[in-house]
Amino acid sequence: MDFHQPTSLDQTLALLAADPEALPLAGGATLVAMLNAELIEPSALVSLSAIDELQTIEAAPEGGLRIGAMLSHATLAAEGRLAGGHAVVRQAAAQIAHPSVRNIGTLGGAVAHGDPSSDLPAALVAADARIEVAGSTARRRVAAEDFFEDYLTTALQEGEMVTAIILPAQPAGAFGHYEKFARVHGDYATLSVAVVLAMKEGKCSFARIALGAAGPTPVRVPDVEACLLGSALDEDTVQAAAALLVEACDPVDDVRGSAEYRLMLVPRLLARALGTAAAA
Amino acid sequence: MMDITLKVNGEEHALNVPVSRTLLDALRDDLKLTGSKNACNQGACGACTVLLDGTPVNACLVLAVGATGRDIVTIEGLGESGTLSPVQQAFVDTGAIQCGFCMSGMIVSATAILAENPKPTRDEIRSALSGNLCRCSGYVRVIDAVMLASERQGA
Repeated sequence: MDFHQPTSLDQTLALLAADPEALPLAGGATLVAMLNAELIEPSALVSLSAIDELQTIEAAPEGGLRIGAMLSHATLAAEGRLAGGHAVVRQAAAQIAHPSVRNIGTLGGAVAHGDPSSDLPAALVAADARIEVAGSTARRRVAAEDFFEDYLTTALQEGEMVTAIILPAQPAGAFGHYEKFARVHGDYATLSVAVVLAMKEGKCSFARIALGAAGPTPVRVPDVEACLLGSALDEDTVQAAAALLVEACDPVDDVRGSAEYRLMLVPRLLARALGTAAAA
Repeated sequence: MMDITLKVNGEEHALNVPVSRTLLDALRDDLKLTGSKNACNQGACGACTVLLDGTPVNACLVLAVGATGRDIVTIEGLGESGTLSPVQQAFVDTGAIQCGFCMSGMIVSATAILAENPKPTRDEIRSALSGNLCRCSGYVRVIDAVMLASERQGA
């Protein structure tokens, strides 16, 4: 296995294009664990750690934020600009595993891995994020909702990598909240609910909701959000919205909970997440 | 195989390692610094926690070739020349150590939280050490030890 540590994105993309068996190495929190378990055998690793443009967070020209792929979960968890509706991303990053893992793992790495029970995918769908992807011939942006295609499967094509996440400006007065239910602190979610919510004169004026660990990709149902709009988030409305969400879920049975148990959590966590966001 | 230089506990070491060699294996097998423990090799248990540029990380999730140019501190580097560091001494005095296997990681994580936050609450300590598993399950005295180290540090 070869090791490269290029200092520019162009060099990185050329290396990835020249060798289809090479893998980009972000923080390593997942990739090195997979190497240790002998689950993968890449021909080369192309480290992204010396590329300055992947390390920045800046205001995006169209409003909102552009966050470089190599920022660690710990950095995101402490980022004050992830406020209002964007707080859903900060809260999700803050609940990934444990401090030492958050110091290693990166935003881009977590996105490219596409694990539906990890925390960032649902939060990014709720925040209507765009995933910025670069290949040797072109750069493109993919809506988070379309990026996660299946279990551990994303829209990344051969030779492509994630370079940044763009968070669009959120509606005025919106607050984000990430509600995670796990067996123990730091575990993967049994179920999670990411919401961006705005209330105006006691009524819901904006809602965007995505569930994590509820299916092979984050689960979002626009009809659920339509059902909440204009309501005071009274119990009957929230339960009706939750029933629509449950229909769209396709969770697995695993050590973190049965599929049936996960579906039972949907209405409870949805109510909790909406209540917290509305009170923010 | 790659030629690398690792700066560990203030000393530079020239090594020739395979790309897949983790920092943990390089510390233990190449440098014979066996205080950092290999338990899960998956970033789940924290027994291999070391400081990388002052920040606690799981040495099993970092490749040795990616740690060149970084300042690495292991459990062996916390105390000055053969003496215990104040955090190590507090763990001994509190009786926080049972079988001891997780202790290197616990003490490195505890050192990091006290450097960042000299007066942590018990909850802040629990949170900072949440990635360090103790299968003897003796967590209460571990937290007592960090509180003691914090008090002595302030004294």
